[in-house]
Amino acid sequence: MDGVATGPVANVWVFRVIRALLDGLRRVLTAPALLAGIYFIILLATIPMGFVLHESIASHLGASVVGDALADGVADGWWDEFAAQSSGLERTFAPSVIGFAAVLSNLSAIADGTPPQGAIAALVVVYMLAWVFLVGGVIDRLARQRRVTSAGFFSACGIYFFRFSRLAVLAGLAYWALFGVVHGWLFTDFYSTVIRDITTERDAFLLRAVFYAIFGSLLLIVNLIVDYAKIRAVVEDRRSMIGALLASVRFIRRRPVATVSLYLLNGTVFVLVLAGYALLAPGVGTAGPEMWAGFLAGQVYVIARLVTKLLFYASQISYFQSELAHANYVAAPQPRWPESPAAETIGGVTS
Amino acid sequence: MRDQLDPSRRVTGPVTTGLIVAALTAGTGLHPTPSAAPATNAATQPPSVTASTTEPLLRPGRSPRNANYSIDVHLDTEQRMLTGREVLTWRNISPVTTTELRFHLYYNAWRNTESTWMREQSLGRSLAIYDRSESDWGWIDVTRVRLLSTDDHPPLDLTADATYIAPDDGNTDDRTVMAVPLPAAVAPGETIKLEMEWTSHVPRTFARTGTIGNYYFIAQWFPKVGVLEADGWNCHQFHAATEFFADYGIYDVRITVPSGWILGATGREQDTQDNGDGTVTHHYYEEDVHDFTWTTSPNFLDLRQEFEHPTLPNVDIRLLLQPEHAGQADRHFEATRATLKYYGEWFGAYPYNHLTIVDPAWQSGSGGMEYPTLFTAGSSWLAPQDVSRPEGVTVHEAGHQFWYGVVGNNEFEHAWLDEGVNTFSTARTLDEFFSPSYASTRFFGGFVPWVFRDIHWSRATDGNRLSGYRSNARMDPQATPTFRYWPGSASSITYNKTALWLHTLERHLGWPVLQRALARFYERWQFDHPEPQDFFDAINETSGTDLTWFFDQVHGDSVVFDYGLAQLTSRPTEGRGFFDGDGRLAFIDKTTEGLIETTVVVRRYGDGVFPVDVVVEFDDGQIVREQWDGSAQWTVFRYERSARVTRASVDPNRVLLLDVNYTNNSRTMTPRATAAATKWSLKWMVWLQDLLLTYGFFV
Repeated sequence: MDGVATGPVANVWVFRVIRALLDGLRRVLTAPALLAGIYFIILLATIPMGFVLHESIASHLGASVVGDALADGVADGWWDEFAAQSSGLERTFAPSVIGFAAVLSNLSAIADGTPPQGAIAALVVVYMLAWVFLVGGVIDRLARQRRVTSAGFFSACGIYFFRFSRLAVLAGLAYWALFGVVHGWLFTDFYSTVIRDITTERDAFLLRAVFYAIFGSLLLIVNLIVDYAKIRAVVEDRRSMIGALLASVRFIRRRPVATVSLYLLNGTVFVLVLAGYALLAPGVGTAGPEMWAGFLAGQVYVIARLVTKLLFYASQISYFQSELAHANYVAAPQPRWPESPAAETIGGVTS
Repeated sequence: MRDQLDPSRRVTGPVTTGLIVAALTAGTGLHPTPSAAPATNAATQPPSVTASTTEPLLRPGRSPRNANYSIDVHLDTEQRMLTGREVLTWRNISPVTTTELRFHLYYNAWRNTESTWMREQSLGRSLAIYDRSESDWGWIDVTRVRLLSTDDHPPLDLTADATYIAPDDGNTDDRTVMAVPLPAAVAPGETIKLEMEWTSHVPRTFARTGTIGNYYFIAQWFPKVGVLEADGWNCHQFHAATEFFADYGIYDVRITVPSGWILGATGREQDTQDNGDGTVTHHYYEEDVHDFTWTTSPNFLDLRQEFEHPTLPNVDIRLLLQPEHAGQADRHFEATRATLKYYGEWFGAYPYNHLTIVDPAWQSGSGGMEYPTLFTAGSSWLAPQDVSRPEGVTVHEAGHQFWYGVVGNNEFEHAWLDEGVNTFSTARTLDEFFSPSYASTRFFGGFVPWVFRDIHWSRATDGNRLSGYRSNARMDPQATPTFRYWPGSASSITYNKTALWLHTLERHLGWPVLQRALARFYERWQFDHPEPQDFFDAINETSGTDLTWFFDQVHGDSVVFDYGLAQLTSRPTEGRGFFDGDGRLAFIDKTTEGLIETTVVVRRYGDGVFPVDVVVEFDDGQIVREQWDGSAQWTVFRYERSARVTRASVDPNRVLLLDVNYTNNSRTMTPRATAAATKWSLKWMVWLQDLLLTYGFFV
């Protein structure tokens, strides 16, 4: 059980959680190739569409003098004109792509249950499938705490891809239930009913914030369970994803305060990353060096977000590994090449 | 046009006016049709039931004051019911005799789903309003109609004769217009007095009138007489895309509401009376207005400030503010003062000495609407200082006191005359006093604002709402009666298009000319009902230019304007052959002269025609400005000179704000489209990466 009591016992889980976070950070920072890899994936995923938009804008501008204004800042009315003549992914090119508004618009869309459309939706699906493929390798690498070859990494990806595909179906059902049913019920039906006769916006906003918190908590629970299911699947080399989910639930149920606290600590890091970007996010700027500096700032932010994502995994792996019978406890799978983290531990291979 | 009948009503014969007299003729039959007939045919009509006088037909006030109301109304907040009684004193200032009166019963638009308003509202829109609960619908039932007499005759009950009519679409389920046949005709200049009693249920807000919680905004709430014109009654059914039209008069209104509730209304409060039963009766009075609206709630903050100006009359400004907007009081007052100042300086003085701003309750749906001497603004709990909300809506609705309140056009048929002119005026006023102003958006259910401080609000495009017009440019010609507009694009044609073509005229004629034209129109048509041609006349007369060609396109048609620069080239002159030189034909090889031939091809892509300037710039610093009447499909300008062209633009000063595609108006020899596209696509990529990362949460 978590140390929910007071005194030194309580400190045990607090320290373990903090230690897991710091250890997770160490694991992420000592895996630069992993970070670079997943960064390049997101970069590569977005470059083609960026190129499409580039061509659309350039084509619309042609040799127009308006291009000068847009290169140096914003052209009066151009945005609306471009939008009126555009379709598909160009429609997503709105002022909300500027600076920190980009982050808020995406978070807001998720919170309000507004899914992406068209080509963007397709890209999101592809990206998520890519992560379903990669996440086995990612967890494997972070659990091993040592370098692995690319062959080893992708082998792990391959090993867990089908397992995590099954898990993704189960998780997808849970998320579908949350967004397709609960969100609609919570925000369209229940929220609308609750605020029906409210005449002060402030009260309605506070209520909506409560509803966001409720929905966010449900998301957190599902995400937490799925996270530990993936971790247990890799670290313990589990084949059954239902089994992994049940094992995850058992693990969390026995340590609810610690696991949630660790999750929230990671969430705090996420918020700090957002806050940092809110302060540093570039505005419109001008074409040329300033443009590239702005893009660089954006990439630093993207990398920080990826570090945060890996930190979630790494700290939870660390905590999971620290919580079981011994520090690097794993089940004992059949050794084979490439060695699983479990086999590696049994074989005494250390980084 | 003071001191005479409305010219649109074309009085040709001797004119007399009636006092408030109704000589009742027993046994007179009703004559529902024709409802109105020319005065020359009066002999064929039943004997007049009204007495006429020899008093000259002068305006008794600033307006004709021919539709005067004395109203007592009681609000039952438990049942959301209004119980009212009104006495209408109506004088026929038209040149025709009428045998009936027609009344608007606007509240019946929300009686059921079969009203014309509801049917139109559902065109291309959500049917969510159909799902309202029983208590959310609204209706009005006229329970008694009596013709009153000032002599000893008893009142004549006309209740049973009243019928619902649907003059616009024949919708037999629509009950928004009621005809009351009279026992005898009312001739021009004669006056009758009608008493009506009614009950109505206040709906959850439809069309900016109704209630939510303990906030009531009561507009279009009483049986309101239509406007009798030379060709008969102008009393349209209530339509989804239009507003209102009524004659001017005096309103003497007593409103009973619960004690402790704050009440604001058209006019000035004369007195209050505590009824001792938990209710208070507020007595309001106003002259020379064409509507009366009121609001009540126990929650308002009741604030007052003064408008003072060296040359304009003072105005007492009252602000009924929602407590959660307490910090925005000065923003409301400042915007209203700016409106009174700029509109007053540009067009003419605000003629009333008081004005009430109502900050509507959240979700009330009553924000952003104008009524005589009272209007609703609209704000948000989180309202950044450098975003023009609440200023934009406040200026617009305060501005309606001039365009709608004082100049009372027919909003059913020519809504652009007030909405469009006022949108133009609003943008101009905001441009004068509200700066800096930035673009913004709202996240998280619309609650959280975000300001784009890189994107300045632009009067030309944002203020005139070019984007809305662009997507509806091909829709109904503006000259179409507004209530016939496609509801989905009515506001674009009414508001946006007018603002754009007026701003185009401002740039074409110059502001001093247009300002004088608008001032002339305001002066000429205050407290009256102008038609579109009256507006055009004011501009033509003031400018000394016949702009019919322009009005025919922007008002009479739905043409689209789009000029573009189709070609821009500069290359060494290649002319070679026999040319006229020194009076004789000579073989000339121009390629040796080192001249550069520049070709500029300008095209008219749209069907709208407007004269445009074409500016060509050369690398030796010379700038050539050409003028093209814009009528042909294309034209070409050629230059032979030693310099190369650097850039060229058609309509470089963006005079023609109706041009739906301004990007194609220019070309440069050193385009930076690639640089601009790179900059913006990189920003978009970061947004896209963030989107993927956000969805990455789920895996």
